[in-house]
Amino acid sequence: MYGGGNTFESVKFEGLENEDPQKLAEFEARIERGEKIEPHDWMPQLYRKQLIRMIEQHAHSEIIGALPEGTWITRAPGFKRKLALMAKVQDEVGHAQLLYSAAETLGKSREQMIDDLIEGKSKYSNIFNYPAFTWADSCFISWLVDAGAIVNQMANARGSYGPYCRALERICAEESFHLKYGHHCVIHMATGTPKQRQMMQEAIDRWWGPMMHFFGPPDKVSVHTEVLMRWKVKMASNDDCRNQFLDMYVPKIWELGLTIPDPNLRKNPETKKWEYTEPDWDEFKRVINGDGPCNKERLAVRRVAEERGKWVRQALLRPKTEYVTPLA
Amino acid sequence: MESLDPRVNRLNMKGFEGDLTRKVPLDQFGTFEVFVQMKEGKPYQHEGIVHAPNNEMAFVFAKEQFSRRMTCTGIFVVETRNVFVTQFTEGEDTVYNYVPDEFPQQGEKEQYEFFHLMKRGKQHEHVGAVEAKNPQEALALAKPAFINEKPVFNVWVIKTKDILFTSEEDKIIWDTLPEKKFREASDYKAGDKLKAFKENKAAQNQEK
Amino acid sequence: MNETALKELLYKVADDQLIIGHRNSEWTGMGPLLEEDIAFSSMAQDKVGQSQALYQLLHELGEKQPDTIAFTRNADQFHNCQLVELPNGEYDFSLIRHFLFDTAEAIRFDMLTTSSYTPLAQLAKKIQGELRYHTMHANTWIKQLGSATEESISRLQSSLDKALPYALGIFEPSPYEQELIAEGIFAGEEALKAKWTEKVTEVLSQTRLEIGDLSAIDPKFGGRQGKHTEHLQPLLDEMSEVFRIDPAAEW
Ligand SMILES: [Fe+2]
Ligand SMILES: [Fe+2]
Ligand SMILES: [Fe+2]
Repeated sequence: MYGGGNTFESVKFEGLENEDPQKLAEFEARIERGEKIEPHDWMPQLYRKQLIRMIEQHAHSEIIGALPEGTWITRAPGFKRKLALMAKVQDEVGHAQLLYSAAETLGKSREQMIDDLIEGKSKYSNIFNYPAFTWADSCFISWLVDAGAIVNQMANARGSYGPYCRALERICAEESFHLKYGHHCVIHMATGTPKQRQMMQEAIDRWWGPMMHFFGPPDKVSVHTEVLMRWKVKMASNDDCRNQFLDMYVPKIWELGLTIPDPNLRKNPETKKWEYTEPDWDEFKRVINGDGPCNKERLAVRRVAEERGKWVRQALLRPKTEYVTPLA
Repeated sequence: MESLDPRVNRLNMKGFEGDLTRKVPLDQFGTFEVFVQMKEGKPYQHEGIVHAPNNEMAFVFAKEQFSRRMTCTGIFVVETRNVFVTQFTEGEDTVYNYVPDEFPQQGEKEQYEFFHLMKRGKQHEHVGAVEAKNPQEALALAKPAFINEKPVFNVWVIKTKDILFTSEEDKIIWDTLPEKKFREASDYKAGDKLKAFKENKAAQNQEK
Repeated sequence: MNETALKELLYKVADDQLIIGHRNSEWTGMGPLLEEDIAFSSMAQDKVGQSQALYQLLHELGEKQPDTIAFTRNADQFHNCQLVELPNGEYDFSLIRHFLFDTAEAIRFDMLTTSSYTPLAQLAKKIQGELRYHTMHANTWIKQLGSATEESISRLQSSLDKALPYALGIFEPSPYEQELIAEGIFAGEEALKAKWTEKVTEVLSQTRLEIGDLSAIDPKFGGRQGKHTEHLQPLLDEMSEVFRIDPAAEW
């Protein structure tokens, strides 16, 4: 899963004028025709850099995203939930594997990407810096955080880079299981005992803010975003994704008799857009810059996993092997 | 650090927490290309890569990363660097137009497997094998069969002996896949429960 | 058919599968490399699924629902061997345990394919493929790490030394050995142990690991009678933490 269209803001857009204009024109024409760009095709440096950055962050979000839900793997109530949650978190690790592979076709090795993650040089979806206090939190994540991720991923799947699109096709197919499973859990909680219902309501109250942050700050259309949109790297604006999410899921939350902690949340019948209280964007910035409730733990766990696995990977090494960029 | 995750608390992270030294990037393995057959008789299709130290481990990894849903009747794996890749073509132009009829003469006769890319943006599919002394000869030998067919945009040529195939007796490892319903969306239907809940609520509202 | 003997067998096998599956699932998201993380999780899912199927057989024999059996008993009511309840430790221990346990598990189910209790024989046949993959995975890893670096070899060796007494505990005889054998339900722990020893020795002989003299080891028995290490009850408390909030609720 993935969220936060904020990832493009701090990027330096330089060097585009140094690209071969004819090749650039062919490249843009190909995208315009709706064709995919493949690893062997010519591409502007900026396109390559942006894609690596984006796919890599998406991959990090999957592997870090496995942690808050993983919190409940050993405590899932009953066989059906136990098996489902194991399979769901496994899928998220699998998504990371697929996405790292897609990014690798652009020339950055997986080792390098994982190093950048655990050294704090690379971002991942901000929402996973929040804790999953109860089983209901894991239900919220499985249903609604994944729902948000699906909105993003479906948009990105229409993008221009072949390997990323193919990975996303696979991922989206698995996400439909996550979404159904999550909804199934939330329905059972909301229509269950008073205690279950209360747990679910509290989880929604806790997670609504981070969920609104998930799609990133309101759009500021810049020249840069225009280029990225033309190249089909950035596929939808943050606000559009957020609106789409609200449109699809707020009614589904309300029909369960659950409330959303925002008195201003409503769909404007004229504009057909959702209106809401702006979430606390200062908090968003604080958390994304490292000061959230779980940032330290998430990275520490990843780092420990890497450290503890080091002797294993070392033992599997064949020093003579030359690393070759994967093909597709 | 006391975590909400009991698994994390068991990790005993104390000794690791401050350790920010750069990880030596030595554990980058080679990559292996993975091909999957969904049903008996269907072609093997390229699905992605795994990182692994050798064919055997690549196979073990590929099985769960690329065939843990639906059906599967076989996979095979080959190290990326053992794949010979042709140039790419577009439109109506088949790659076989560029296969020279002259080829080097050195090498022992060996079998080569062929994989065609038939549509831009899609995956390579296994089409067959030829015996040849080297990949260039293999391509030249395949040329007559394909040059007047639907355009092929790219070919991967791989020595059969570089590939690890699924042995007949191992094919049972996918037997219970169709029964892993808990990995499928279709196993999570709660429409009835939701409907009952809404009807109940509506009835209560009417009473009021 | 001796139902008491049959149930005792089903319980211990089901409990083994559940507890090892649970333990192995603790690695999900924290494995030593992404691909292995995924593979190990799949096998944990297989095992938990197998335990559910076995509890279902028990349910059909008049025992409670699988969820109730799995999530509401205390440690002294569990009949798993102690090997499976031990904490995961480092990956060397988890892998060695996986190798030792799954070799026995695969042979046990292979023997059960001819069980006179048809539902069990059918289940055993059905999961042959899953078990084939588990042992393929275990053997591939053990051969690889068991002859790689000094560190991997010494880590595996010390985990092997630690695990072996517990592994021999898998074969703790049941009070109903004779009945099970006589009625053709299961050919017995002794027969299983003999086959296991042969297989384990064969795989290890392809590595630099030493299995030593098994007859000199004191097996860790007790698990089959509900006597466990201090690790099982906390595992069960954790596993049932949510379930026990309201065991009658639908989660
Ligand atoms: Fe997710
Ligand atoms: Fe995902
Ligand atoms: Fe997901």
